[in-house]
Amino acid sequence: MFYKPGPYNWSIRNVPQFAADMYGTGVGHGIAYEALVTGQADKLEGPIYDSIVKVLKNPPRLPIDEGAILPTFKRRYGELEKVFDWAHTLHFQTIGVLAHRGWTDAQKEAEIERIWQFYSEQPYAITGLPLNMEVLDGYSYSGAFRTKYPKVNGLFWGYHWLQTANYDMLYRTPVETHGPQYQVVGERYRETELFNTEREFMPMTGELSPRFAKRFPEIANSFDNLHMLHDNVNDILATNELTEVQKKQQIRIAIWRVLATTHQGETAGEGEANSLHDHRYPFGMPGMGWMKGATESEMYMSGMGWMNMEECGHCSIRLPSGDEWGATVSANGWTMMVRCMLCARDMASETIGKAIIRAATEDPKQTLVLISDELGNWTSNLPEIVFLEVKADHPECNDWSKVFTSRRAFDAYIAENPDYKDAQPIALSEWQTRNEGTPETYRRINRPSPYQRNGEVGP
Amino acid sequence: MTATRLAAGLGILGTLTLGLATDHNNVDAGRPLRFDDASSIAFGERAIEWGVTGNLGRGRNNSAVGALEFKYGFAKNQDLGIAWHPQYAGANQRFSAGELEFTHFRQIQREINSSPALAYRMKIGVPMERGESGVELGMRGILSTTLRQYDKIHFNLDATLATEPEPGERDLAWGLLVGYSNPLGAPTQFDKTLVAQFGFEQSRRAGEGWFSTVGVGLRQQVAEQAVFDFGLEADLWSGSSSRRRGVRITLGYSMGF
Repeated sequence: MFYKPGPYNWSIRNVPQFAADMYGTGVGHGIAYEALVTGQADKLEGPIYDSIVKVLKNPPRLPIDEGAILPTFKRRYGELEKVFDWAHTLHFQTIGVLAHRGWTDAQKEAEIERIWQFYSEQPYAITGLPLNMEVLDGYSYSGAFRTKYPKVNGLFWGYHWLQTANYDMLYRTPVETHGPQYQVVGERYRETELFNTEREFMPMTGELSPRFAKRFPEIANSFDNLHMLHDNVNDILATNELTEVQKKQQIRIAIWRVLATTHQGETAGEGEANSLHDHRYPFGMPGMGWMKGATESEMYMSGMGWMNMEECGHCSIRLPSGDEWGATVSANGWTMMVRCMLCARDMASETIGKAIIRAATEDPKQTLVLISDELGNWTSNLPEIVFLEVKADHPECNDWSKVFTSRRAFDAYIAENPDYKDAQPIALSEWQTRNEGTPETYRRINRPSPYQRNGEVGP
Repeated sequence: MTATRLAAGLGILGTLTLGLATDHNNVDAGRPLRFDDASSIAFGERAIEWGVTGNLGRGRNNSAVGALEFKYGFAKNQDLGIAWHPQYAGANQRFSAGELEFTHFRQIQREINSSPALAYRMKIGVPMERGESGVELGMRGILSTTLRQYDKIHFNLDATLATEPEPGERDLAWGLLVGYSNPLGAPTQFDKTLVAQFGFEQSRRAGEGWFSTVGVGLRQQVAEQAVFDFGLEADLWSGSSSRRRGVRITLGYSMGF
C-alpha cells in the first residue's frame, strides 16, 4: 500500500533532527526484531543494544525500509510487518500534515480526518477504538520482554514516547516553532527517554499529547493499540513458555485482537468491562483506553502518579473547552493540560530543566509557544505578548490569568471585563519571575501505583 | 474467540502484500541492470523512472538508449507501466523514436520462510519508427529468494517473441538473468544497494548462438522517494565475435509519488 498522496508528505524533514530521530526508531525496532528471530536474543542486552544505540545517536537522514532491516522477521511474520508498516505510515502522514507549511490549522485537521479514513479502510488497519490496556497486557506472557531485556524495552518505549509526544508539539502550533520545540523534546528523547528503564507502562498518546488525543481520539487510540501490539509481540517472542509454532499462533491472535475488523460495529465508551471489547475511556479523554486500576475519573500515569484527565494538572479545577482551552505544559517527559497561564508557569517551575508551554490566546488562530531554558527564562514565538494576572480564586483562573497577543487585545479584554479595570499588562520578563506556588485547590490523589507490588505509592 | 473468526480476521491479510515504495532495495529492470526482483511498486503508488544507457563501442559505434517510464500500482501487488525507449546510433549519427513499451507486473507470492517470492512481467513493445511493423511480446518469470540475511538472488527467465521479425532475425529468443542485490550500510545508513547480474541470452540474429553478460551497479537512495542508479554491463563471451558489444554504462533516476 502506498500512502495517501499529498503535498505534505515527508514535511517532517522541515525539522531535520526530528526526522532523523523518527527514522532511527524504525531501525531500532528492526534490529531488535531481527535479532529475536535469528537466534541472537542472548546478545540483545549487550552488543545488539550497543549497535542500536549507535544508530540512534547517528540516525539515518532518510527513512529506512524496515523490510530490508528485518528480512528474516518479515519472511516469518509477514502479516505482522504489514500491520506495523501501515500504522507507521499513519504516523508519518499525520506528522507530515502537521509539519506542512502553508496550510491553515483547519485545512490540516480536515486532511488528517481524510488520512484516518484512508488508513482505516484498509484490512490491516488497527482499530481506533479505545481498548482495555490492562486486558491487553494481562496474558501469561505479558511482561516477559521488559523483564528479560529491560534496556531494549526502554528503547522501545523511548521510541513510542517520541512517536506520541511529538503530536502536541506539532498540533495547532506555528511551524516555525517546531524546530525550537524539538530542541527540547529531542534532547529529552535522546538523553533520557531512550534510557528510561523505570517506566511502569508504555507511553500513551493521551498522556503525552493530550490535545491531539482529544481532537483525534481514533488516531490516538490506534497508536496506543499499535504500541500495545508491539509489546505483545515482544513478550511473545521473549517468553520461554511457548514453542515456535505457538509463538506464531499467538502473534496472529495478538494482531487479530487490535485489528479494526475485529471490532467492527462496536462503539467507543461501550462494551463489556474488562474484556477485549471493553471500549471505555477515562472521562475527558476519549483518546485513551482503560488503564490498569483506573476509575471513571482517575487513572495512573507513569512518572506523574494518579491524575484526573478532566482537571487542571495544577489547580485540580475542571478544564475549560473550546477556543479558550487553556494551555499545556511539557516538562520532564510529561505533558499536562492546565486551565490558565499562571497554572502553566507555576507547574513548569516545579520541575527542573527545560519546559514548553503551549497556550490559547484571544485569537484562536494564534497559539502561543513559550520555551524555557534550565533557569526558567522563557522565549516566546509571539513578540508582543502581554499577560493579565489578577490573582483570585482558581475556579475562575482562566478569566484572571490570560495571555494576549498584543497590548491592544489586552485593552479590549479589559474594556469588556470591568472587574479587571485596574489591571496592568505584564510583560514576559516580569511574568516569568512570578510564582504563586501550589494552589489551595490542588488535590493530590494518594493511591498506590497499580503497577507496583507491596502497595508502594507511586511518584 | 474461535479459530474460524481468527482465520476470517487474518485471512485477508495473508493474500495481500505491502508493495515496496520507490526504494533502493526494490530493483526494477533497467535501473540500472536488466533484472527485476519479484516486488511490484506499492498499490496506489505512481513512479517515474528515467535513464540512459550508453554503449561505448569502438570508433563511431557508440550508441545510446534512453528510458522514460511511468508506472502505476493499480492493484495490490501489481503495476502497469508505459515506457519510451528512444535510441541514438553513433554509426550513422541518427536518432530514432525507438520503441514504446507497455508492461504489466504481478507478484504472485511473497517470500514466506524459505519459499521464494514469485512474479511475472509481461510486455508489449511497439516500434515508433515509420515503416516498422509488428510488435515484440515479452514474458519474464521472476523468482527472488534470500541468500543469507540481507542479500538476495533473483532469477529472471525471459522469452521474447517478435511477431514480424526482420529478415535474418529469429522470432523467439530466450534469456536467463541471475541478479544479486545486497543492501549496504547496515545498521547505520541503509540507503544503498549493490546489484550485480550474470546473464545468458540467445542472439536475436538467426544463426548466432548465445552470449553472456555481466554487470554491476549501485542504487543510492537520495530522497525519501527517489533513487539514483549507476551500472556497468559488458559481454563476457559471445557465440560470434562480430556481435560483441562495448561496455554499457547506465545512469538513471526513479521517483515515487
